[in-house]
Formats: sequence, structure tokens, C-alpha cells
Amino acid sequence: MPRHTHIVKVHHLSLAFPTRHDPNPEPVLKDIDFGIRDGEILGLIGNSGSGKTMTAMAIAGLLPEGAVITEGSIKFAGEDLTAMKPRRRRQMLGSNIGVIFQEPSTALDPLMKIGTNLDEILLTHGMKDKAERRKRVLEMLGTCGFADPEEIYSRYPHQLSGGQRQRVLIAGAALLEPRLLICDEPTSSLDTVTTIQILNLLKEICHKMHMTVLFISHDLSAVRNFCDRVMVMRGGEIVDRDTTQEMLLHPRSGYTAELLTNARLDTRMLGLERATVDYSASPVLVARDITARYDNSSSNVLKGASLEIYPREMLGLIGSSGCGKTTLVKTLLGLMPHGGSITCSDKQTGAVFQDPVSCLNPAHTIEWHLLEPLRAAGIKLTKEERRKRVASALQDVGMSPEYLSRKPRQLSGGQRQRIAIAMSLILEPSLIVADEPFSSLDSSSASEILKLLTDINRERGTSFLLITHNIHIVRQICPRVIVMDKGSVCEEGLTSEVLSDPKSDAARKLLHAESVLHGENYSE
Amino acid sequence: MSLNTRQNLKYAGLKFIELIATLFVVSFLTFAAFSIIPGDTAQIMLGPNASPEQVARLRTELGLDQPLPVRYITWVAGAFTGNLGDSSSFKVPVISLIAQRLPVTLGMSILALIMVIAVSYPLSVFSARRPGRIGDTICSILGHVLFAIPPFVLSLLLIVLASGVLHIFTMGKYAPPEKGFGNYIASLALPAFAIALPKIAMTFKFMRSAIIEQNASEYVKTERSHGLSEARIFLRHVLPNSNVSSITIITLVLSDILGGSLIVEQVFNLPGLGRLLLTAIDRRDFPLMSGMIFYLALITVILYFVSDILASIADPRIRLK
Repeated sequence: MPRHTHIVKVHHLSLAFPTRHDPNPEPVLKDIDFGIRDGEILGLIGNSGSGKTMTAMAIAGLLPEGAVITEGSIKFAGEDLTAMKPRRRRQMLGSNIGVIFQEPSTALDPLMKIGTNLDEILLTHGMKDKAERRKRVLEMLGTCGFADPEEIYSRYPHQLSGGQRQRVLIAGAALLEPRLLICDEPTSSLDTVTTIQILNLLKEICHKMHMTVLFISHDLSAVRNFCDRVMVMRGGEIVDRDTTQEMLLHPRSGYTAELLTNARLDTRMLGLERATVDYSASPVLVARDITARYDNSSSNVLKGASLEIYPREMLGLIGSSGCGKTTLVKTLLGLMPHGGSITCSDKQTGAVFQDPVSCLNPAHTIEWHLLEPLRAAGIKLTKEERRKRVASALQDVGMSPEYLSRKPRQLSGGQRQRIAIAMSLILEPSLIVADEPFSSLDSSSASEILKLLTDINRERGTSFLLITHNIHIVRQICPRVIVMDKGSVCEEGLTSEVLSDPKSDAARKLLHAESVLHGENYSE
Repeated sequence: MSLNTRQNLKYAGLKFIELIATLFVVSFLTFAAFSIIPGDTAQIMLGPNASPEQVARLRTELGLDQPLPVRYITWVAGAFTGNLGDSSSFKVPVISLIAQRLPVTLGMSILALIMVIAVSYPLSVFSARRPGRIGDTICSILGHVLFAIPPFVLSLLLIVLASGVLHIFTMGKYAPPEKGFGNYIASLALPAFAIALPKIAMTFKFMRSAIIEQNASEYVKTERSHGLSEARIFLRHVLPNSNVSSITIITLVLSDILGGSLIVEQVFNLPGLGRLLLTAIDRRDFPLMSGMIFYLALITVILYFVSDILASIADPRIRLK
């Protein structure tokens, strides 16, 4: 095969979803023109809906039904992909082009053992010898960082963690050593420590197998850490392209600069002010030696976690996935049976969760949602009082009363999160537990919600337990932080001390991951 | 023994314990219900003109003068060994009455189940492969119509069509299996079809949406990216995953079929368990009633047990729950 400087050449590509009623709709991709150089790692960034995934799927040949390439061509190693017969095109997948998707939890057939699943790829691509296939799969699992490939071979997907599943998916995509690997948001559902591991693995494999990578992400830190060159997409067009260094240091387009600022979630720019905390006052919540386990498991998820939260405090809680953060939240909110003691000065504890979409009932209006906590608490109010209360709750989260009659689907993600916060505020609790309240929001909504939470904390004196994987936020707004590892609190103290001089392994690991990802050392 | 096999056996064991426990609850409730209902079996058997001495003698014979717990234990022991006493109206053992009628109901139900699977499966695969196309739309509308018609109305329509217009069926003519298997099946085919039609519609609807849902799932995208052919993805991934939910649906359909057959037998004038049960109720035949209810419950509970085991074989995630 002749060497090409560009392994993929996308030539003035336009793509649309024509229908019978609208044969010439607004294109989803407009005149995209770029090349991927042999051996490089090309990053593709942009907000959701910018056309990143569509571009990648056009190259892979996995476009959703109804998508039509209206203009242009895609060449892979000199061959025109758009003119290729479907059968040949399909054979390219797996052997020449590998793809890794975003959501490792659902990307594997739940009924099939890992080994069988990977074996099928080799079988499809014509490897007849069973023993040889098995050997190759085990070898690949080993390469992907599994210490015991035999063990993984006979496991089902549900028996693996998110990071392990992503490794399996990488193994599947790289099994036939394709020349191009397309990674569509491969790390966005993983925690920071796992993200680093996965990125390192990708780097290593690409180097070893001489693979070219198209890396799609909205996570700029992952891009910074991984890519040689970056392209920025917006509204179906490529608006900026440069080497990673140049792009991040000297963005040429205003849009790129905006994207960079938002991604940093820079709290200094938001003008956040902390409430002053009196640590001699009696805590609003004291939890001692909390233990908890799930029905189907034989070991405890929480192994004696203890913490206290003081009035007006914004307490940060960090730890990698699986350390028991969310289980702890459940026990504190009384949603789960537990051992140990929890004493709370207030009957009501508010809660805000990660995903504002599934927290709201699509059948009911915003007003109904805001009244729900009152109904649950058995508080009887007159019609007039009720109206006043919901209107002021809405105002507290910066929304006008006209939203009262709307349904959740008519709101944006950020607005839904505001409603969730208003619901937790309506009973005026002295403590609100916020479990990853920013992670499902895009960066500009996330910074607004962050500002809202600090305002509530300062103006109302409400205490917060803020669970987040974003150490940067903790550094900015939490005076005190606790670190969890393997079901208990392994370190706690003033944020400035814990983050500059971590004592525990878990905290050191988290900080290391954070600094690698962001490419800067935060100890100011 | 591997971890997965161990989990399988553990799950099956737990389910079996559950089965036994359920059977005891069912037996207790059945017995309790018939102990509370007013009416004395001995009195009913002897008629209104019997003397109190005669009634008392029969009560001793039937064991009705024993205390309730003793009667319960005797009854349960009988139920599990197939000895449920004599029917008070037919004067023959309950178990032989049930055995005599069972081929009608069981044959009809099995036939109906085969029809449901044989028709709804291919149809749902055909429909779900091309949702929204003309074939799918016709199947779906037909499904809605059949789903909405009550079985007894459907039965009447079929009778009019098959015996009145086409002359291929004779009402109330039942051929027992010992007089030729072909005739036996032929005599049950139409009533089985009447039961099956709405269930075909139901199973079709569920299977179709299960396949469509699986088709849209993330792992299908992964398999496509591995270069697998659409046929292979469908047979090896989409279909097995759809089957997980279809096992539950088929179980529900089967217990529905058993219930529906009781009505359809009546319309088609067939000597099955449904008619026996109605006769038993009509004549206040308590031993027969309690025996039949217990055995119907037994069949249902075993059905659910088998379905649970099948589901756990089809889906490894279930064993862990």
C-alpha cells in the first residue's frame, strides 16, 4: 500500500437529513474540508450539536438512518469511501477503521461474555482457527491492561467497572490493528483517575500499533493532554484549526476563546464570595461510623464513614468513582438503611442530584414540582400562600413566575437544575446535599448553577455538602474538604492544606490526575 | 465449577424454595376460603331431606368433624399426593374428573401457545426490521383491532364463519386423543385459534417494540463498528436481548390463555376444565372446586417458576439480583 501523508481526506463534505416534505433541508455539516495525517492524533472539539460526531460517523460509515452526503467525498488511504459498495465499506470497519463510543456502560451486549464478543470480531473478519482467535483476544486484553485476561474473557459486561468496560471496547476496536481509530467522547463518562488511565492506554496502543486517531471530546483537558492538533466545530462548520499548543494558548477565533473560558469554569471570573463559617457552633449534621451495603453484595460499600457539617459551611466531598460518595449521600438523606448514627439539627435536608432530566416528572408542571416537597412534608397552606411560596422559590433561583405552568421538557438542562434547587429550597432546610450538580450540564450552565449555589449559601446561610469530581471547584468555593476512599473518609481538613499537601494516597492520586489533565500545578 | 454456574444453581435453588413457599400459601388460602364459605358438604351431598344422623355419619366419613388444622394437613397431604377426595356431585374422585377433562383444556392451551409463537414471532421480526413501512403499519393496525375484541365475541364470529359459512367445523364435537391424534387436534384447532388471536396481537406488539428498542441500543452501534453484518447483529445480539423480555410476555400470555380457555370452552361447548369448574360452582361441589382451584394455581406457580429459570438462563444479570 502506498504511503499517504493524509490517511483520511475529507473533501468539501456536506451532509443533510432530507425528507419527503423537505428535500433540501439546512445541512448538518457544511462544506467540511480537512485531512488526518498518518500517525497523528487529531482532536475535534465543539459544543453538543456542532457536528463533531456526525463528521466522525461519516468517516466511519456509521451515519444514522436518513443522513445523506449531499456533496463532497471522503478518501481513506486513497480509496473513496463515499463511492464504496456497502459490503466493502462494512469490511473496512474493524479491520481498517476502529471506533470507540462514549458510553461504556451500554456499549457492550449485556448477554454476551467479553471473550465471545471479541472473538466474534475476528471470526467476522475471517480468522477461522478458534485457538488462534482465543490467543489473539487474550493477548489484546493483556495489552489493554488486564492483569488476568483469562478471567475477563469469561466475564459478562455487568461484572466489570466502567473503566474496565472502556478497556474492553478499546480492545475490540484495536483488535485488528486498524489504521484509524475514531474515539467519540471516550472519557466523558469516566472519573478523572480512570480518564487518565484510559488516555494513557490509548496513547500507548496508538504508538505500539502505529494508529492514527480522530479524538472527539468536549473535555478540553483531555484534548490538551492527548492531541497533536485540534479542530473546533460550530454549527456544522470547522471554525478553527491549529496545533494543540497554539490553539489553547492563542485561540484565533473568538468562539474558541469563549469555549476555553467556559471549560475552565473559572470561579474568579464569576465573582464568587464565600460565607464565613463559625466552626465553634454546633454542627447541622453529624454522621458517625456510617456503614451500608447493597442487597446483592456481601461486603460493605461504606465502612465507617464519619463527617460533620457546620452552619453556613460549603463542605466539599471528593473521591474517585466507586469510593462510596453516592451511597453516603443516600444514607444522609435517609434513602438507605445504614449502621452508625446520623444526627441532624433540622428535619428537612434538601437534595440536588446530577441529572436534572430524570429527577423531574415529565407529566407535571413546574408548579406541581415546587409544591411536591410541601405535600410530602404534610404542610397545609391556603391557595394564596402556596402561590406566594412557589413564586418566591422560583425567584430565589433566578427564574420568573411565567415558568410555573411549563412542563420540564420545555426547559433547558440548566433551568431544570434550577428547578431541582428550588424544590430543595422550598422547605428552607439548613442543609442541602448536592451530588455532582454540574456534571451533566454544559460549561456555561454549570458556572451559572455554581454561582447560584454560592449565593444561596452566602445569603441564606444554608450549609452545603458538595460532591464533585471537579477539584478546581472545590478549591475555589469550599473552605473545608473531605476525601473518601474505599467506603470511608481517608482525609479531611482545610481545602488549602489538603490540596497542597495531601496526606492520603487517594487524595494524592486525585490531585495527580487533576494536574496531569489540566497540565498545570494547582498548588498556588 | 465456574462462578457463573454457581450463580445459576444458587438462583435456581432460591427460586425453588420460593415455589414451595408459594404453594403452601396457595394451599392455605384455598383451604381457608372453602372453610369460611357457608354450606356443609355433607348436607349438600345428601340433599335437604336427609336426617341429622345421616349427615353426622357422612361428616365423620368425610372427616369433616375433625378440627380445622387436622383437616388442613389431611387436605394438603392429599393435594400433593393426588388424592383430593370424592366430588360431592359426581360421586367419583376429584382427580379422575380433572384427569378426564385435562386433555381438552391443556391441548387447547398448548395449541394456542404454539399458534401465538408461530405467528407473532415472525411477524414482529418482519415489522420491527422496517418500522413505519407499509407492512409494519398494516400489521400494527390489525394487531390493535384484534387486541380490542373480547375473546368470546371473536369465538362467536369464528364459529359463524367456520361452521356457518365455510362448513369446516362442527360445534361441540370433541374427539379425545385416544381416537386419533389428528382428529383430536382438528377438533381443538378453532377454539385454540379464538384464544390465540388476541394473544398473537399482544405478543406481536410487545415483541415488535422490544426488537425496535434493542435495535436502537448502543451495543448495536458497537457491533456495527466491528464490521458485523446486519443479519449477524440481529441473530446474535438483537434477538437474544429481545427474548429476555419476550419470556416474561409469553408467560403472561400462557396464564392468560389458561384463563381464556375457561370461557372459550363454554362458547364452543367443549368438555374441558372450564365447564367442570362452572358445574362445580353451580352444584356447590366444594371438594371439586377446591381441588381444581388448587391445581390451577399449581400450574400457574410452576409456570412462573419455569419462566424465572428460563429468564435467568437468557439473562446473566438476573442471577445477581
